[in-house]
Amino acid sequence: MSTAYPLPTGLSPATVNNTASLLRIVALALISGAAIASRLFAVINFESIIHEFDPWFNYRATKVLASKGFYEFWNWFDPTAWYPLGRVVGGTVYPGLMATSGVIYNILHALNLPVDIRNVCVLLAPGFSALTAWATYMFTKEMKDESAGLLAAAFIGIVPGYISRSVAGSYDNEAIAIFLLMFTFFCWIKALKQGSALFGTIAAVFYFYMVAAWGGYVFITNMIPLHALVLMLMGRFSHRLYVGYCSWYVVGTLASMQVPFVGFQPVSTSEHMGALGVFGLLQIVAFTQFVRSHLSSTQFRSLLNVGLFVVGIVGTAAFVGLTVKGTIAPWTGRFYSLWDTGYAKKYIPIIASVSEHQPTAWPAFFMDLQFLIFLFPAGVVMCFLELRDEHLFVIIYAALASYFAGVMVRLMLALTPVVCVASAVALSSLLDTYIDPTEPDVAEEQVPASTDTTTSPAQAVTTTSKKAKKAAAAGPPPASTPLTNLIAATSPVKKGSPPPPKGIFGIDARLVVVLNTLSMLFFFVFHCTWVTSNAYSSPSVVLASQNQDGSQHIIDDFREAYYWLRQNTPETAVVMSWWDYGYQIAGMADRPTLVDNNTWNNTHIATVGKAMSSSEEVAYPILRKHDVDYVLVIFGGLLGYSGDDINKFLWMVRIAQGVWPDEIQEPNYFTPQGEYRVDDRASQTMKESLMYKMSYYRFAELFGGQQATDRVRQQVLPKVGPTLDYLDEAFTSENWIVRIYQVRKEDPLGRDLKSANAFEKGKKRKRSKPQPRRRAVA
Amino acid sequence: MPKIWPTVLFFSGVVSALASGQSFENTAIVRTVELGGSVVHVTTTYAIKSLTGVSNIYTIAISHDEREHTSWLEAKVKGQQQSLPTQERAFDATKGYHLVDVTLPKTLPVNKTLNLILETVQTHVTHPCPETARQGDDQSLKYATNLFVISPYATSVQRTKLRALTPRFLSHTTPENVKAFTNDAPVTASGATIVYGPYNDIPSSTTHAFISEHQQLITVHYHHEQPVLEVPRLKRVVEISHWGSNLNTQDDIFLHNAGPTLKGHFSRLDHQTQSYFKRPAPHVLSALTLHLPAGIRNAYYYDLIGNVSTSKLRAAASVPKNQQGSQFSILELRPRYPLLGGWNYSFTLGWDAPLEDSASYDRHNGKYIVEVPILTPFPGAVVSDAELVVILPEGASDVEFSLPFPALSTTIGTHITYLDTTGRPALTFRYKNLTVRHAQNIYVSYRVVTSAHLKKPFAVAAAFFSVFALAMFARRVNVTLDQKKKAL
Repeated sequence: MSTAYPLPTGLSPATVNNTASLLRIVALALISGAAIASRLFAVINFESIIHEFDPWFNYRATKVLASKGFYEFWNWFDPTAWYPLGRVVGGTVYPGLMATSGVIYNILHALNLPVDIRNVCVLLAPGFSALTAWATYMFTKEMKDESAGLLAAAFIGIVPGYISRSVAGSYDNEAIAIFLLMFTFFCWIKALKQGSALFGTIAAVFYFYMVAAWGGYVFITNMIPLHALVLMLMGRFSHRLYVGYCSWYVVGTLASMQVPFVGFQPVSTSEHMGALGVFGLLQIVAFTQFVRSHLSSTQFRSLLNVGLFVVGIVGTAAFVGLTVKGTIAPWTGRFYSLWDTGYAKKYIPIIASVSEHQPTAWPAFFMDLQFLIFLFPAGVVMCFLELRDEHLFVIIYAALASYFAGVMVRLMLALTPVVCVASAVALSSLLDTYIDPTEPDVAEEQVPASTDTTTSPAQAVTTTSKKAKKAAAAGPPPASTPLTNLIAATSPVKKGSPPPPKGIFGIDARLVVVLNTLSMLFFFVFHCTWVTSNAYSSPSVVLASQNQDGSQHIIDDFREAYYWLRQNTPETAVVMSWWDYGYQIAGMADRPTLVDNNTWNNTHIATVGKAMSSSEEVAYPILRKHDVDYVLVIFGGLLGYSGDDINKFLWMVRIAQGVWPDEIQEPNYFTPQGEYRVDDRASQTMKESLMYKMSYYRFAELFGGQQATDRVRQQVLPKVGPTLDYLDEAFTSENWIVRIYQVRKEDPLGRDLKSANAFEKGKKRKRSKPQPRRRAVA
Repeated sequence: MPKIWPTVLFFSGVVSALASGQSFENTAIVRTVELGGSVVHVTTTYAIKSLTGVSNIYTIAISHDEREHTSWLEAKVKGQQQSLPTQERAFDATKGYHLVDVTLPKTLPVNKTLNLILETVQTHVTHPCPETARQGDDQSLKYATNLFVISPYATSVQRTKLRALTPRFLSHTTPENVKAFTNDAPVTASGATIVYGPYNDIPSSTTHAFISEHQQLITVHYHHEQPVLEVPRLKRVVEISHWGSNLNTQDDIFLHNAGPTLKGHFSRLDHQTQSYFKRPAPHVLSALTLHLPAGIRNAYYYDLIGNVSTSKLRAAASVPKNQQGSQFSILELRPRYPLLGGWNYSFTLGWDAPLEDSASYDRHNGKYIVEVPILTPFPGAVVSDAELVVILPEGASDVEFSLPFPALSTTIGTHITYLDTTGRPALTFRYKNLTVRHAQNIYVSYRVVTSAHLKKPFAVAAAFFSVFALAMFARRVNVTLDQKKKAL
């Protein structure tokens, strides 16, 4: 057999195998290193700090776990959250993340490596991303082969869609969940392929870990049953499926019910009913198979018809009945919003107000996945070509996740692994075909070997970089690869006629494709690095800007204000802010908050929204009734920080309106022309709202007579700013981003604070007020 | 002092006067008080004359109140660097004053004179008055002290000077009942100085009669234009690493502005206006300059919620050992927020320094000697509670140390950190009320044998070896139950 380029001869298969195995290990180690390193931009550019909002709660909970032990954490009632209600943290949290960090922390300390718990938390996500790369490798290996696995591992290691949720410091549930997702899927495929109860149980154990770690476990809960159902519908029922599914479902469900936050949901909510139904169906199908082996076919057919009818009626009736009775909870709002993207905006403004719950903009797909997004369909098509049981899984996963990713930005994360797997399958098939040195046996069409000399350096490059694959290819001769099948399937030549010689001739045809692919891969790496360093590595607690000389200037207003609260207010001082900042205040300022990012109590949040959006006189009793000492607002007008409270204000109004439609009405906050303004033309309600007053209090004075411009909204503010009677400015951070106000106590003389204030300023009491009363008496 | 036993006290006073009153006479006593924030320096010059020529022990009396607030006390002969040995006598609560014996360099012949200088540092003696101030207000402090410097010996002339940093006194006490000692005005104020005295022919004043009759408190009320800083808690951990040839110092500092408490609220607008017009309020601390040792590297400054990026370090190169140098690395440190009156700020400051800058090896007895500074002085601040932990290398033995002044308590414990197996000896020293005068060095000497040095590499190597051995073993064990299937 002729080859396009010389291959080493005289190697024993054992040598080739061992080299390939070593190269694979080295490649995986390098991929892990790249995955970890690319997530460290945030630490290098900023510092080892916990990012954003939710991670601050996870971090705080982990500190409790690490310092007080697991049982204390399990029974932790946090009186400082949701003041005055408090929060049962142990029962309302997915503890997997904290437990993981706690275990790592304790192991390191037992080994006399006294690492700070913060560093464990910060570096957990990068560490687990390396494991994700490995799990993806194992998963893809089941789909195609090792080379596709390595490609998939490399993709998932650096793809921005996953990095966006797992940079160092992004200490959130997703940090470990994607690894668990991929590993559970791998175990499931393994269990399905081998019919192994062991792998089914391992899948169940990792499923349990996943349930303990992330609410997205429902994806697995529905993915695996769906796969099983499709297999059954395609008539692919086998005992391997039965063993794998049953061992996973029984063990996994029982285990998942041990998580307090999940509790009896696996047997009582609609989201989990699919898994239960498929479990029941499997039993019926297995029983049917058993009966069929003992009965004649006519008897069996009539039995089957009757049986199916009865079981179908009974099952549906039971499901509907239980749902109506309330034993099975209907689908939650979050799930409805997956079917109807407008649902949340109409009925649950809290869910809709979160930016990551918005539908995905199409450039986001390219930004997060780059060239994988067009390799992905090719990979799915290749799965269709072969269509083994496990390929069906990828197809279903791809279809579902594509839909979800289109509906919600944050579900892009669920799509990313399958995109990596499918793209790796496609790309590795391509590379397999074009690196494969065998040439078709058509002597007269052979290309002269003169091109060899000119292309040998490039060839050296390609061969070294793809040595793993070459070595793998050099071992056993490649039999029927998916690509040859593809060529066979799409070839215009009709079957029956003798197959013409097909394949690639010469080195140049190979090089064109391989070099193209390589350059695409290079661009992918550049793109990933750029996106990661620019878009996804900002802690959002700390903002960066550039000095005039180009050096980095850190804007640290959040921590400045939070630390001030922590050091200079009483420990019991209750801080009211919009819920976005609840976790940060609890984590950094260590003070009780009214509402936080847990958003479990809509009314409480609406109360805060009402206080923020109504006038001082209306808000003051609310503040006093909730023992609020300090009110914190975020104001970006001076610096041009667009994520401030005035821009979020309409959500506060909407949420408050949902509970008090008579008192708060959204249209009142717009100008008659329907504009949202903060300048002279702002509506009266807007100008009188507590949020407006707190944001712009004394802001105009800062400009010393010049035009006071709000840089976020690009509007000129009135010269005379709002005044406050019921609140005092307590602290304003350096760039005015965080403003903290102290709520005044009632006037000791029993006056209302407005007149007391006016009296102190030496203003005469207006006579106009009592007069009408007198007239009325007269 | 209980008034039930005046005779007893009178007799005891006479006895003490008889016991020591005869050997010396003070020709003049001049006390200079440098009024400050939380730290007040007092320099008292005793011009003494020997009457008998037999004793070389001169006794100094300090009232109980002052002694309680005095954190540093040093006696010198004028013009000499060497401080004289002092010995404090046991306090007799009935007397109300402390006696300190100073051993003079040699016995003073009859009628010879000597100028003895007593330097003391008082802490926590000033109080803001008024106790609250608005953001733009001035800051004024009150300081109270005794009018007379009491002494067991008769004094020919005595005066007390109080000097402030700015020539703005609000008020001062005019002493009463001093006609016996002076005919002029008992107090004169001019510019930044207030002088009490001169008072002439004061008898031996460590008597109950004198104290109850003439001794009185004088109070001055003055403007102070620097923030009054206090460090209620300071913990310094110094870790010596021979493997890294590194001396890591880490200070956990709790800073408190002990000036007048902020009245009303902090307004950023006013603060920015003040700093724009370069008229910062005197009690607002917005930046702090610290002198860290020369040759430091990897300095870090963070607090409970992370790194603070608002500081500048100008590191000086380390000074060679044989050269006398007083180079410092200057750290300009800005707290996260300006520190107004009554506000707190806690943070951590640390740095690495080359070990060879502060350690040396003694060939004769095979011991290492390391010099450890007790604290980095904060300008004008008092450290109320200080803890110094010196962590020696793992396996250090024969630990000895010498202190420049005694610590409240000294303990030796064990500290376990990275790659340790048995832990490192850690010396803990506790101090109270440290000031700039206490910024001295502790010398710690210890022996480390070579085998102790090799503990770490061995431990790490053993750990890795066991992991790999386990992996090798695990690869070669077949745990498959069904051996037949495997064979197929």
